[in-house]
Amino acid sequence: MRPLFFLSLLAPAFVLASEEGVNPKATDLFEIGGIPVSNTILTTWILTALIIIAIRVLVGTPKIVPRKGQALVENVASGLRDALEPIVGKKMIGKTFPVLCGFFVFILLMNWSGLLPGVGTIKYQSADGHWLDAIRPANSDLNTTLALSILSFLAWTYFVLRYAGFKALVFDLFGNKADKRELSMLMWLMLGFIFLGVGVIEVLSIASRLISLPFRLYGNVFGGENLIHTLGGIAPYVVPAIAGMLEVLVGLIQAFVFTLLSAVYIGLICNHDAGHDDEHAH
Amino acid sequence: MIIAEITGSLPAAAGCLAAAIGVGLVGAKAVESVGRNPDASAKILVQSILGMALAEAVAFYAIFLAK
Repeated sequence: MRPLFFLSLLAPAFVLASEEGVNPKATDLFEIGGIPVSNTILTTWILTALIIIAIRVLVGTPKIVPRKGQALVENVASGLRDALEPIVGKKMIGKTFPVLCGFFVFILLMNWSGLLPGVGTIKYQSADGHWLDAIRPANSDLNTTLALSILSFLAWTYFVLRYAGFKALVFDLFGNKADKRELSMLMWLMLGFIFLGVGVIEVLSIASRLISLPFRLYGNVFGGENLIHTLGGIAPYVVPAIAGMLEVLVGLIQAFVFTLLSAVYIGLICNHDAGHDDEHAH
Repeated sequence: MIIAEITGSLPAAAGCLAAAIGVGLVGAKAVESVGRNPDASAKILVQSILGMALAEAVAFYAIFLAK
């Protein structure tokens, strides 16, 4: 059904890409049981398999005296843990770290996957004569980033309800945080109404995380992909390489921002007594 | 006489301009703080990335929601 794949290496793809730019919509490659499989899903599967294999090869069975591969993985994980620990708090870091580290590694490699030769440049010709990507970076599809954000939101809900409790969540959103002993009764009640109103705004801003998280990641990755392809059309070989270096940086920062924001959202509710812990520690 | 023509979405452009100014302000203050207190650079990095992310979100609302 599908026409044959045309494997173009770097140079022809730049010429092709200059005419059409990058399609904002992922193209469906084939169907499995009536569910279409798009080119971004294909990238996700290939890279997920590669991540699993790479970790197995690098670490294998963890040893007390690490080999080179294990030391590399441990360095990345412990560096990330040190950055996240003050945000989610000492009590929560052990529980949340697997999810957050997974987000970071997955998003980082998905962002960088756009820079590999072949991703976004292997094209095939459809029946009506357009050149379509056979494989493209997963985060340049809004569906992927939305799925990641929904996962992050579900994780937030789980951690908040499990470790802070429903009561603490409602008090944090709507509750009256003023001190009853320092204020008169009337003043305290009036402040209660204000806190109630603030709570409504707070709920709205929590809901809008589901818009801002996916759009931030999608906008940055798709914009970068588009930039490289367009620059490749204008001045091939040298200029896109410079944009590629910028994309390495952007990919790292956006992966870190997504992880950091997920951590902050959890920490905002679960990490109330962190200040006291710090004071005792010093 | 037409000197130049403006095309594209003006609301989106205004949103992006504001977001860029916001990110710039956060970055400038972050650099200043690291200059004053280099030991706190790790904490400042986290805070500034957060501030930048929140300021940057405005640009995406403007791009995707402005008609």
